[in-house]
Amino acid sequence: MVEITALPRYVSPVNPAVFPHLTLVLLGIGVFFTAWFFVYEVTSTKNSRSLRKEIAVSLVASIFSGFGILFLLLSVGIYV
Amino acid sequence: MTIFKMLKFLLFLFFSQLVSAAIVQIDQKLVNKNVERSIDLTSHLVKVTAAITLENTGTSPISNYLIVLEPGTSGNLSFISVKDALKEELVVKPTEVAGHTDKVFYNVILKQPLGGSRTVVLNLEYVLTEAIVPYPNEITQKEKQFVRYFGSHYFYTPYSTTKQTTTVTLNSRNIENYTKLKPVSQSDSSIIYGPYTDVAPFSFDVLSIHYENNAPFLTVTHLHRLIEISHWGNIAVEENIEIVHSGAKLKGPFSRYDYQRDTSSNHHSVKSYRTILPAAAYNIYYRDSNGNISTSTVRTRKDWIELELRPRFPLFGGWRSSYMLGYNVPSYQYLYKKGGNEYVLSMRLLDHIYDDMHVEELETNVVLPVGVKNVKLNAPYEVERLGDGKTFKYLDSLGRVVLRLKKSNLVEQHIQDLEISYEWDTLTLLHEPVLLAVALYVLFIIVIIYVRLDFSINKSEKKE
Repeated sequence: MVEITALPRYVSPVNPAVFPHLTLVLLGIGVFFTAWFFVYEVTSTKNSRSLRKEIAVSLVASIFSGFGILFLLLSVGIYV
Repeated sequence: MTIFKMLKFLLFLFFSQLVSAAIVQIDQKLVNKNVERSIDLTSHLVKVTAAITLENTGTSPISNYLIVLEPGTSGNLSFISVKDALKEELVVKPTEVAGHTDKVFYNVILKQPLGGSRTVVLNLEYVLTEAIVPYPNEITQKEKQFVRYFGSHYFYTPYSTTKQTTTVTLNSRNIENYTKLKPVSQSDSSIIYGPYTDVAPFSFDVLSIHYENNAPFLTVTHLHRLIEISHWGNIAVEENIEIVHSGAKLKGPFSRYDYQRDTSSNHHSVKSYRTILPAAAYNIYYRDSNGNISTSTVRTRKDWIELELRPRFPLFGGWRSSYMLGYNVPSYQYLYKKGGNEYVLSMRLLDHIYDDMHVEELETNVVLPVGVKNVKLNAPYEVERLGDGKTFKYLDSLGRVVLRLKKSNLVEQHIQDLEISYEWDTLTLLHEPVLLAVALYVLFIIVIIYVRLDFSINKSEKKE
């Protein structure tokens, strides 16, 4: 049995000190793309609508919002 | 026929020898040359320490020493340990001794076998709970609390003892009475019995002391400790504590007026107590079923955090209280990486609640991260492992393994580290954000489909 204290300590892959900043940046980008998506949905007509653009914008929006919400939870103290 | 009978007898003899070899024998060659015992009765626990000088009066080496508990105390024993002269822990195991099945024995295995006419010093320490009984067991608010302790004048041992002394430490000068087996002397708040010489094995003579003891008689009837690991860098600890004042019961009414006027610090009720938390603890909360209890103070010391907890009401004999205490600690304090994807959590199974604490029942639950494999447990002492549970926390679709451990009758000496090792894949960390992203993406897809549906009753005027 290896002495426990001799082992390297585990640290989070992301420094907890940057959680609020990450939240701001990621959620900012996420909200921007979400807004763009919805604005595009309501302003485009049946003819001008492009499925490829919708999917691309929503994908970026969901990834950034997903990570943004996660870091929001972490920074307020809900450690998932 | 007779030969057959003889063979049978020989076989029986052989097997009975084998059986008796498994049971430890009392070696009368071993003698307690000197025993210096001290019994600490200043709190509600009986803390006995004894420095025993052993001598092997025979010639063949002896490798084990037996400790026997005083009659009727086996249910009260909470902790026992034996250290050698170099303060190194020796192995102590419960055992049975032929011819003494009614007594509880502990077998101590010596580091080195004790040769003929050699001596060695052992330091025995044990703690008894619920051995100090309030007498009278009901008092009014103004009265002092008196308690009784029953023990033995002689160090109870299976070996003969050449010389022994016992020092009893009390927490007040006010002693109603105590047994006086000469020679005995009292100085201030301690009583010294002995030296007694040439005491036979298993000598027992009732020692009783009736004295004033206003120490906080607090007992934690149930402690539920929850440890939750997050690989995002945090370990959350939450303790659900049910506490009771186990001293003399309060007789008659409780007067808040008299209570406020009584300024003496030496009162049998419990106003507040201190809990020691790890130095790295943050986000500390203290509440009960009614909500936050604001009568608590956090003081940061150099190596720990001191929490002064004041229950909602002062605790008198028989009164109970329950509360929840929680805090977070950064994961690097207790979580270690053991190469590859194996991790080790080294954390206290039980933590400090108040000085001289007594926990009747402890249940420690450890919530491991999502997707752990190959969980191994290394407990500092014997604990009962209940079946693993499964719990769902925030953003959790797979469920997390909960390790459930249980033990009863614990004291301060049981604050020791528990080691849990498990295998866990770093990529599992992405489980929560991906889950969130997928959920959001599904929402967007629904919107994309929705805008393509036509719910209008009228056909569009323009036809394409």
